[in-house]
Amino acid sequence: MSAESASFAVSWVSEESTGTRALQKEQQLNRFLAEVERRALRIAEIGVRDRDDALDLVQDAMIKLARNYSDRSSDEWTPLFYRILQNGVRDWHRRQAVRNRVMVWFGRGKRDDEEFDIVAAAPDPIGRAPDEELQNSEAMDSLEIAVQELPRRQREAFLLRTFEGLDVAGTAVAMGCSEGSVKTHYSRAIHSLRDKLREHDETV
Amino acid sequence: MKRSDEEFARAAKARFDESVDKLDGATLSTLNQSRQKALAELHTQPTQWLRWVPAAAVATTAFLVVTVILPEPANIQPVPAEVADMEILLGEDSLEMLEDLEFYAWIDMLEQENDVG
Repeated sequence: MSAESASFAVSWVSEESTGTRALQKEQQLNRFLAEVERRALRIAEIGVRDRDDALDLVQDAMIKLARNYSDRSSDEWTPLFYRILQNGVRDWHRRQAVRNRVMVWFGRGKRDDEEFDIVAAAPDPIGRAPDEELQNSEAMDSLEIAVQELPRRQREAFLLRTFEGLDVAGTAVAMGCSEGSVKTHYSRAIHSLRDKLREHDETV
Repeated sequence: MKRSDEEFARAAKARFDESVDKLDGATLSTLNQSRQKALAELHTQPTQWLRWVPAAAVATTAFLVVTVILPEPANIQPVPAEVADMEILLGEDSLEMLEDLEFYAWIDMLEQENDVG
């Protein structure tokens, strides 16, 4: 084999291995996003009480993760993804606060009867008995409202620890705080929710 | 954490998972589209070294501004006289003068004769 053809072969093998690595990374990221996207949507939805806005926030988080952190180890993706998502939810609340102030100034604030109806928005494709469905929906509805009423840091700790199943270290990365703070916020959230939902304790 | 807290968390997680399972087809389709958009980002990413191009451009511009544009005339040090003489001596005209040295000597001699006459 001449030196030129050997050089071409090495270059071709190198390009092929780079292409294979890129494909593997894409497949890995696809699996990760597919696995996390539905829970992320519901967590964002609980945070902003609007499905369309939650869908936008999840899409932004996916794109930012792919753009900025796809080179990181896949073990880091979950806390990074939720950190991006929580930042998005926080920014959404800031924008809403500004918008509401402006709307109130012009006398067009949001009416109380326009609140998000989680029961109406969630059909049941599994086909359970109406009584069971009603009980479950009411329980989740009450839980969501109680979670939404928690202080922001407690809400984030509860959503990430309980609903996403992140450990304390992962939750600390996602929230951008110490592990001790996570434990404190989570403990307070659990006790607060239990107090609020005492009447639903047998269903929740 | 107390056992009752753990049970509460487990029950809440179960309710949450049910609500995740109930997401409708249109929502799942939108999520899928979002995922594809995110994955497309992988193909539009610049290579590693290209990420430094904007920073390098800014650094080069800053260097040029500092070295070429910003210096004021007052800050420029005057050139020493010896250096100025060397520039005159090494100039193109000076070399021509050296070549015609005999001619200048002849003019000088004529001027001296006139002065005497």
